[in-house]
Amino acid sequence: MKRLVSGNEAMFEGAIRAGATYFAGYPISPTSEILQQAAVYAEDHPEFRFLQAEDEIAAAIAVISASLAGAKAFTATSGPGFSLMQEAIGWGHVVEAPCVFVNAMRVGPSTGMPTQPAQSDLLQINGGTAGDTYPIAFYPNSVAECFRLAVTAFNAAEASVSPVLLLSDAFLSHFYELVDLEGMEVTVAPRTKEPLGKGQRLFTGISHDKMGNTRTSHPEIYGEWLAEMKARHGQVADQYPLYEYLPQKGAKALLIGFGITSRILLSLRDQFSIFRPVRIFPVLEKELREVTASYSKVIVVEGSDGQYASWVERAIGRRVSKVPCLGGGFKLRWIRSQIEERLRGDGP
Amino acid sequence: MIDRSYKELIKMRRYPTTWCPGCGIGAVMKNVDMVLRELGWNHRNTAVVSGIGCSGRMASYMNFDALHTPHGRALTAAEAIKTVRPELNVVVLSGDGDLASIGGNHLLHTSRRNANITVFCNDNEIYGLTGGQAGPTTPKGTKTLTSVRGELYRPLRLGRILTQEPPYFYARTTVYHLNHFQACIREALRWEGFSFVDIISDCIELNGRRLGFKTAHQMFKWFDERFHVVEGVMDHLKEDELGIAKAETIAEQPSRAMEKEEAKPEPSLETLKPFTPEDLKAFDGADGRPIYVGYKGKVYDVTSSPLFQGENRMRCHLGGKDLTKMMSAAPHGEELILKFPWVGRLA
Repeated sequence: MKRLVSGNEAMFEGAIRAGATYFAGYPISPTSEILQQAAVYAEDHPEFRFLQAEDEIAAAIAVISASLAGAKAFTATSGPGFSLMQEAIGWGHVVEAPCVFVNAMRVGPSTGMPTQPAQSDLLQINGGTAGDTYPIAFYPNSVAECFRLAVTAFNAAEASVSPVLLLSDAFLSHFYELVDLEGMEVTVAPRTKEPLGKGQRLFTGISHDKMGNTRTSHPEIYGEWLAEMKARHGQVADQYPLYEYLPQKGAKALLIGFGITSRILLSLRDQFSIFRPVRIFPVLEKELREVTASYSKVIVVEGSDGQYASWVERAIGRRVSKVPCLGGGFKLRWIRSQIEERLRGDGP
Repeated sequence: MIDRSYKELIKMRRYPTTWCPGCGIGAVMKNVDMVLRELGWNHRNTAVVSGIGCSGRMASYMNFDALHTPHGRALTAAEAIKTVRPELNVVVLSGDGDLASIGGNHLLHTSRRNANITVFCNDNEIYGLTGGQAGPTTPKGTKTLTSVRGELYRPLRLGRILTQEPPYFYARTTVYHLNHFQACIREALRWEGFSFVDIISDCIELNGRRLGFKTAHQMFKWFDERFHVVEGVMDHLKEDELGIAKAETIAEQPSRAMEKEEAKPEPSLETLKPFTPEDLKAFDGADGRPIYVGYKGKVYDVTSSPLFQGENRMRCHLGGKDLTKMMSAAPHGEELILKFPWVGRLA
């Protein structure tokens, strides 16, 4: 049955469908609704555990520890909270804890504009923790997709045995659409990692060998571990080459947008081709190269000062035009005028 | 013959440990393992968690599924594990810097939530792994790498923080008082709810030598001088006492609504003794006399309130006076005065 559901609600319900049994979080706009929903859900479902943590640091640590203990676990936050979670996320990659982090982006840096949408956390999502990591991140643009990608994120987490990012923005999180979530067919990956209390393993953030022995001055062991993790994440990412490409004959340019921006760009579909990456990280390099090849003009419209555009440039090896929608300003008229300005200009 | 079966709980293949000779951490790990062995706790029913630092290495030498968390986060990790797997015993072994400084917020809140975990804190009053910087428990005046003229601030009193409100279990012991130490470990592991054992321990190499101690044993003797064991169950421990302070949950106070139902009908105003302002003045609490105050035509006996006497007296809480006018300036409402027994009327 169809009902009116928000992006936040759909993500929570998707997580439940994926088999999540643990949520820890800290109140923050615009994902407090997920925290509240988890608290209410836990009241009626004793198998589902909930913690309102003292801060996002604790929330992230709790999620990773709960995952190691055997639960499918997740948390939801926004930019400032996500900054606090970075250390834990790095730990999650090293101790190989499958779990999901929802980051609904709002205008930053710092407290910024707490109720205004942005897409400016991509840099910290991809590389905010210390050292080299290769996180997988998905970014829906509809309520139905919030649900479906929540399940996908949990599945990718199980396969990559790592924290996986599910992205949103202040707009999408509070966006209501008529959807039939119960009727949606999804595939759920089971938990395969052995829970705690079964062995004598060491889950440590210190560089270690396959036996779990700490190795703090062995570059070759670190190198092997990093190569293995990179390959594992690459293989799992390859299973989810998710994007949407809407070609238009005689298009003046290719527009690239994701999340809430891609919804706005749909209004320009009759004049432009549109490419929407759904898997934001690892960047869809091959797909971007193939799609952009037939366009002389590529314009990236996004809620940051060109964060994703830089990755597109790196992937396709040439400059692109940027339309940064900053400070929560996602107005179609303004975006259209900016695109037309880029078309008149001599730029890329 | 000494029972050495506790060694099954230690990863002997990883020996020698990273700890300096004479360090107290080895004694902490060994004694915890001895009691775990005695209680039958092993890798099938127990998980151990550590933070970062020398003390944080304990979990990695123990034959359990062990979590070695980021700095300061051991308690949160332990609480989450216990939540997901209530059938597992969860033991935290870490240091004072990890638990009380960088992890201080988690210490406050994990204890507030009374997570059913046991915490062993190797409290050596220094950041040892990083070379000997002042920590949250370093006594005032101690010279360290970051307090070269002596630590400026008072140390955090873990015993006071953790015994604010029942239920709580806080034990203080040292690595020198071995029998007492093992008894604390045993009681803490058996405690239902959050239990914390503050183990005064020595860091001879990176703290002790700077303080003038030549051997670890001299530091042990120093612990013996500084602390003494108190027997029996205490509510709180003084700073020089070793012992166990514990308290179960107090029964819930009856709600206000219930109190009201049981309240007796009020006596009528006329039947009560009249007080002139001069009469009232005599009841100011001096020389052990009761404290009466006037309020809206009535006289109340506030002798039981500490806020009307001695050091704790609040500014406008004056015995023997009519306080009706002062109430408007008070930060609280009149309900605080109405709850006192009514002994007369203002004439």
